[in-house]
Amino acid sequence: MTFPARYTGNELNAAVVDHDSARASILLAFPDVYEVGMSYIGFKILYSIVNSREGFIAERAFAPWPDMEEAMRTHGIPLYGLESLSEARRFDLIGFTLQYELSYSNVVNMLDLAGVPRLAAERRDGDPVIVAGGPCVANPEPVADFFDLFALGDGEELIVDIMETTARAKEDGVDRDQLVRRLAAIPGMYCPALGNAAVRRVVTDLDAAEYPEKFIVPFLDTVHDRVVLEVMRGCCRGCRFCQAGMIYRPVRERSLPVLCEQAERLVASTGYEEMGLLSLSTADYTGIQELARKLVQEYGPQGVAVSLPSLRVDSFSIALAREVEGARARRTGLTFAPEAGTQRMRDIINKGVTEEDLMSAAADAFRSGWEQIKLYFMIGLPYETDEDVIGIAELARKVLDLGRRIAGERGKAGRVRVNATVSSFVPKPHTPFQWHAQDSIEEILRKQQLLKEPTRVRGLSVSFHDVMQSHLEAAFARGDRSLGAVISKAVDLGCRFDGWVEHFRPDLWKQAFESQGLSPESFANRAYSFDEALPWDKVNMGVSKAFLRREAELAAQGITTEDCREGRCTGCGACFGDVRVRLQGEFGLAASPSDGEGAGTGAGTGGAV
Amino acid sequence: MARVRAQARAQGVQSEMRYRLRLAKLESAVFVSHLGTMRAFERAVRRARLPVAYTEGYHPHPKYSFATALGVGMTSEAEYVDIELIDRADSPVGSRAVLEAVGRELPPGLSVLAVAQVMEGSRTGLASGIRWASYRVEISLGMALAAAELLGQASFEIEIAGKGGKKTVDVRPMVRCAAPQGRALEFTIACGGRAHLRPGDFLSALGSIAGEKVRTDGFGVHRTGLFFEVESRLVAPEAHECTDLVIAAGL
Repeated sequence: MTFPARYTGNELNAAVVDHDSARASILLAFPDVYEVGMSYIGFKILYSIVNSREGFIAERAFAPWPDMEEAMRTHGIPLYGLESLSEARRFDLIGFTLQYELSYSNVVNMLDLAGVPRLAAERRDGDPVIVAGGPCVANPEPVADFFDLFALGDGEELIVDIMETTARAKEDGVDRDQLVRRLAAIPGMYCPALGNAAVRRVVTDLDAAEYPEKFIVPFLDTVHDRVVLEVMRGCCRGCRFCQAGMIYRPVRERSLPVLCEQAERLVASTGYEEMGLLSLSTADYTGIQELARKLVQEYGPQGVAVSLPSLRVDSFSIALAREVEGARARRTGLTFAPEAGTQRMRDIINKGVTEEDLMSAAADAFRSGWEQIKLYFMIGLPYETDEDVIGIAELARKVLDLGRRIAGERGKAGRVRVNATVSSFVPKPHTPFQWHAQDSIEEILRKQQLLKEPTRVRGLSVSFHDVMQSHLEAAFARGDRSLGAVISKAVDLGCRFDGWVEHFRPDLWKQAFESQGLSPESFANRAYSFDEALPWDKVNMGVSKAFLRREAELAAQGITTEDCREGRCTGCGACFGDVRVRLQGEFGLAASPSDGEGAGTGAGTGGAV
Repeated sequence: MARVRAQARAQGVQSEMRYRLRLAKLESAVFVSHLGTMRAFERAVRRARLPVAYTEGYHPHPKYSFATALGVGMTSEAEYVDIELIDRADSPVGSRAVLEAVGRELPPGLSVLAVAQVMEGSRTGLASGIRWASYRVEISLGMALAAAELLGQASFEIEIAGKGGKKTVDVRPMVRCAAPQGRALEFTIACGGRAHLRPGDFLSALGSIAGEKVRTDGFGVHRTGLFFEVESRLVAPEAHECTDLVIAAGL
């Protein structure tokens, strides 16, 4: 058995639960291995909120690795919660985190292992209610068959409503059907069987939102094994391919004093040796320098290192990284995401990065002693030409040449490495590119081929994402309810852990699609027209369809849109009522009058202070 | 920071003091790897807010030294680790405070059994000094007889699977003693860099004599001691060049 500690729980700060006295219980299920699931902050937040309340309990379950699954099936061990080793069926609710589409087969497999009927329609009294949350609920349809309900948006308040409603329903002695109906009536809940329209929940003030006072400290080395401070939620940069940049709007920053308090508590309760600042674009946090300095001063001497993921492509970010991470970062290398190879293409996707930005940031990095730079690009973007694709190779070579020149002054030109990672664009729901088709597999492969020759240079390497995985991801991202039968069939055929290249079985998926008379192409490679109903229309993630369409039209013309923090309100629709851009520094001011009359009016007035 | 520390040392205000901890790994932590145990311990020490001495440089590491790794599946009452604390010469932290602070912070499955101060000038490194390890495991009568038979021989060769494939090794010199205690066998075998015998390999040697199939994956094996060898005597690490030995209550 590989890593048995995945399955034994009993870690520091794990909750002690008592099912007998609980009013309501939830099994938080993550459809990937322990090391991956334990790294998601949303999972930690929900766990902590539920367990900190009297009468509610939450346990954890992760997808068993195939060796464990085999052992479980052989010995008849059902899926269980790590806290009390209670079987999954004992819980009132099972809540899955849907972080990426390629975990759908694991969801179904975990339901099987739990002994819960796969199809929501077949569940009866005594079966737990199966709920999903996380970014993939932006299009719940492909997995709608398997879930009783979907929870949209920020979970801090929603999870409490779900637990309380469940507890009351049990106390009232209502049947399962009634419980599902009551849960569906909570704002932010979408029930596929009822087909109700739902609007995502938004936490207005991140300072007031609950954040764990302690993290479980795993015995295993997990993907992100550190104190995590969520400095802000949302990003208004408006990259048109980016789903996170759309569905987590508007930007809400946590204030400095609150973050410092959280850092203090978490270091004390975990003893972690590393602290990460998390957000979609951490260098955009107002006062990032002050925060980073404070943390480094306070915790450096205690042996706690501070790390900064998701840096912007600019000199400010390099200076920040140099200050905060020092020699440690120089060893690991630096990552930039210009996303596209030509200015024309970057304007189309609204990635506000110019070649000069990249070159000056790279020059700063090489001058500061970095020798390895990783560049992230996408191919298959809307309106892409071969010139744009080849532009990726040219840009990467320019960075390499620059590095050689600068490092050459120290006599170390030979040590410069530039690594280009090229993924295939996946059109996602609730983005301006949701209507676009993904390039066909053949076209993506052709474009990859275009890049191979011009990147055959010493010091430059290029790696591609698996085309079939991206293809399937697009089908699930944009598909409809007919995919449920395909996923079910694929699980029967043995599909598991599709996000893991060593387990991904495109041949079995092909067979699963064929068995239902469907093809992934008909979802991934089809364009939707603006007037067509989209499978995910029932789900309102905040930004309005009108805004997305406007952005799609601007993309076609190569016109960029400014970040609403710097310029004017873009009218994306994410702000309404008390929901608005909140930047660190403006706290304590009276909340702006709620001049919105609901989604779509765009009251994003929180300019830079 | 380094300069401040050097100054303090020169003035005799602060000095780096080595403490030796003896830990137990219980049944509930048998699946935790050696690396996981080390990490859990380091984090407990940080939570305990002890004045740990760090290595210098951009990414300071606490100064720790762990003794021999314990295989996954085994329990133990003899896991050793040395840590260096920056101690005030006039009011040292002391073994009792270390025992209490670390004891409070260790995760479930790990506990502190004893703490001692390593005397200044001690030249025996913890990891490098270990020569022998003792274990206890429940066995059958046949296995007990096999142990006696093995001890009676001048040499006993078995095949051992190592990194570079299978090797034939004479295990007899690596077995110091093996004595039945009720239904259990207590045995002391070589441990450390110079000569090392895994308890699983020892048990399979006995199994080959007894003609029994035995479990060799570590489950059921309990480590009872690790020892230095001083003038051919076995000495527990906390008893060698140490002072201020404090043993956890309830033992």
